Amino acid sequence: MLNKLSKGLLLVTSLSFATPALAAPSNAELKIGISQEFETMNPLIMTMSASAYMYRMIGRSLVVLTPEGKWVAQLAKEIPSLEKGTAKIIEEGGKKKISATWEIVENAKWGDGKPVICQDFITSHKIATSPTVSVGEKEQWTQVEKIEIDAKNPKKCTFKYEKAKWDFYQLAQFFPVPTHLEQAVFDKYSKQKEGYEKNSNYVRNPTNPGLYNGPYVISEVKLGSHVAFTPNPHFYGKQPNIKKIIVKLIPNTGTLEANLRSGTIDMISVLGLDFDQALAFEKKTKAENLPYVVHFVPSVTYEHIDLKLDNPILKDVRVRKALLYSINREDLVKALFENKQQVAIHNVSPKDPWYTADPKIITLYRYSKREAGKLLDEAGWKMGADGYRSKDGKKLSLIFQTTAGNKTRELVQVYLQNQWKQAGIEVLVKNEPARVFFGDTMSKRKFEGMALFAWVSSPENSPRSTVYSKAIPNSSNGWSGQNFHGWSNPAVDKDLEALDLEFNAAKRADLVHNILKAYTAEVPVLPLFYRSDISVTPKNLKNYKMAGHQFYETNNVEDWNLN
Amino acid sequence: MTAFITRRILQTLAVIVVLSYVFYYLMSLMPGDPVDMMVASNPKITAEDVARLKSLYGLDQPTYKRYLNWVASMSQGDLGYSRTYRVPVQELMGPRLWNTFLLSFISLTLSIAIAVPLGVISALRPGSRTDYFMNLFSFAGISIPSFWLAIVLIILFAVKFPLLPAGGTQTIGGEPLGFWADLMDRSFYLVLPVLSLSIQQIGRFSRFTRSAMLEAMRNDFIRTARAKGLSRRVVIWQHGFRNALIPLITILALSFSGLFSGAILTETVFAYQGVGKLVYDSIIGNDYNVAMISLVISVSMVLLMNLVADILYGFADPRISYQ
Repeated sequence: MLNKLSKGLLLVTSLSFATPALAAPSNAELKIGISQEFETMNPLIMTMSASAYMYRMIGRSLVVLTPEGKWVAQLAKEIPSLEKGTAKIIEEGGKKKISATWEIVENAKWGDGKPVICQDFITSHKIATSPTVSVGEKEQWTQVEKIEIDAKNPKKCTFKYEKAKWDFYQLAQFFPVPTHLEQAVFDKYSKQKEGYEKNSNYVRNPTNPGLYNGPYVISEVKLGSHVAFTPNPHFYGKQPNIKKIIVKLIPNTGTLEANLRSGTIDMISVLGLDFDQALAFEKKTKAENLPYVVHFVPSVTYEHIDLKLDNPILKDVRVRKALLYSINREDLVKALFENKQQVAIHNVSPKDPWYTADPKIITLYRYSKREAGKLLDEAGWKMGADGYRSKDGKKLSLIFQTTAGNKTRELVQVYLQNQWKQAGIEVLVKNEPARVFFGDTMSKRKFEGMALFAWVSSPENSPRSTVYSKAIPNSSNGWSGQNFHGWSNPAVDKDLEALDLEFNAAKRADLVHNILKAYTAEVPVLPLFYRSDISVTPKNLKNYKMAGHQFYETNNVEDWNLN
Repeated sequence: MTAFITRRILQTLAVIVVLSYVFYYLMSLMPGDPVDMMVASNPKITAEDVARLKSLYGLDQPTYKRYLNWVASMSQGDLGYSRTYRVPVQELMGPRLWNTFLLSFISLTLSIAIAVPLGVISALRPGSRTDYFMNLFSFAGISIPSFWLAIVLIILFAVKFPLLPAGGTQTIGGEPLGFWADLMDRSFYLVLPVLSLSIQQIGRFSRFTRSAMLEAMRNDFIRTARAKGLSRRVVIWQHGFRNALIPLITILALSFSGLFSGAILTETVFAYQGVGKLVYDSIIGNDYNVAMISLVISVSMVLLMNLVADILYGFADPRISYQ
């Protein structure tokens, strides 16, 4: 509410003033504004996006995904593979497993000069799999059964994986922690519930440079306010150009622009402006020739509408198809987003190697009121004198829910509501605060008809959690899984199970295309658009590359240059 | 007096205990516990993860048991651990409480120092030009939304005329320059938030003072005092103002009770590192330990300031006794 009001008022008020010119930032210091809260940056337990954004400046992992969507080695010398013989499928107790050899780059060091060694991965694995440490997603750690260090080289080790999965090398969240600092803390507090995380050096002494192995170390941190970074002299890669980076939290997105224009911050990160604010600011930047660039980069975030398949109306696939035919998504992204966000045709984004738009594989739904009408007539929903369709005396009426207060989503709702009205479908909006919507209505599958929200994903990510029949949340599985729509297709389940174990890239793509074929034919979900990531940078910032996925642009912060 | 204060303190403690349980229980009724929220944001969390985390956080226990555990840790001086920020609560809240106290105390003191004389002057000249001007100022102060005023102040004094910082608590990343330089730096960042909060409070307090003073000056004893030939100063301050103090004490005591509660709108707009937004986020995010501590502080302050007000009534009006 505050954001909405302040955004409007800020816009009106700021139009009345001309602003004095500010000096361009230099490599001496860069101040970045974010609007999302961050937590303690212990890589084993952090969950917030803002922490992940900052952690990429101070910590590196074995591998990472580039903005182009390619997995590359980072702390590792190379990515192990079956082809090169650095990984092999083994069999133990009748179960197929993988054994892969990882070698850490020679000069990888912690900020205190101690080398990054395999033991640091063993320590993080030991801590993260401990029952007293509150790591959210355990599987990323338990997928590795054992790590064995080469007797001759402490930087070389063999990871034994509990399952033979093709994506075994995607260990981007498998961060090491410095054994020489964290082992003692864990040994002392490992028996207390959450004892390690409360007493870790990341909490007690976060400015200890030995905790970080990235291009920067933390020189100052105040939760809820800011984090200051200075170059890590022991970084294994090239030394960063910028001598000091400050990430400053400005929780009110309505004042981010004022902070930028007053020089309090020099740029706005991807975790900053709302889409409508960015569009307005881009126009202002051009009109007033301001020294900023507003970046819009397509991301893998998939905005869509889940259909509750248990709903008697939505059980009929003809109704679901009619809902999709009757909305003009091209016009929607043009009218509301000035074509800066892409229309979605399914849940795999164009940035993903698995993407396909081939009409021989998937069903495409171009806007067609006639087709929608035909399908609804076939399904028995006849147009009445009141402009709405009905069957057996019952009106074709659906509840449409999303997160209350999200301006973009509420605009999309109004737009779609109007289009469905033209097709004779009554749509009643019943929005809820995000806390209730995600914490109860969706997670416990209490929504009644349609639910508008987004999935954040990454390229080549199995859609298992959102389309697998065992991922339908219910009381017996502790309401886990995110197949909220309740889609169950045995062929899709089979393909999903095969996908995890398929080492041939072409065959994997075929399996995903089979899933997409069923997904677009049965329409359990109405795809809307893929969101764009937004940031604002000073004009003189070079080598800044936004990723559009969860491995943020800070991953190449050492290349940024303000000269 | 001592018996009265002791009785009131005991009552206060009882109210805190009852309210803290009610609040704890109400929070547990809110949809989605911290683990549910984690599941909603991470599709890879499994049923086993959910069961493990709920057990680790004690969320599989009935509410009263969780509350008793919380009371037990509190009684040992352990305020708990923030699951949102992943730090002990005392480390998280300590500096923020101090920041909020500074902001609220300075703006409240400034507001009282300006509003009370303005209200008295206005009441002494009802219907005059001064009174009309002060009324206009007061109504404007009360009516302008504080966040709007905050944004206007930022645009004026940080963007258009870059004299003051747009937001923050102090200069970040600089070397320590000594006590006085740091104090000046902190003060520099406080100017706009204090101004934004004070303008509204001045309007409110001056209206209360004016009406209390008008009421007091209409009393017969004022006419008697004047008839006795007492000086104008004595009539106004010793007879008029002292009688106007009773309603003012109530209002001011309640205002002081919010010293540690935080001004969420002002703190958010100015990115000021106070407790306001922290408390809001902790309630929304079911960060029980942070939310409970802020509640205890808030309830204690209200009860304590009411006690202070009750004691002050006796000083302002000797007819009030504490039997």
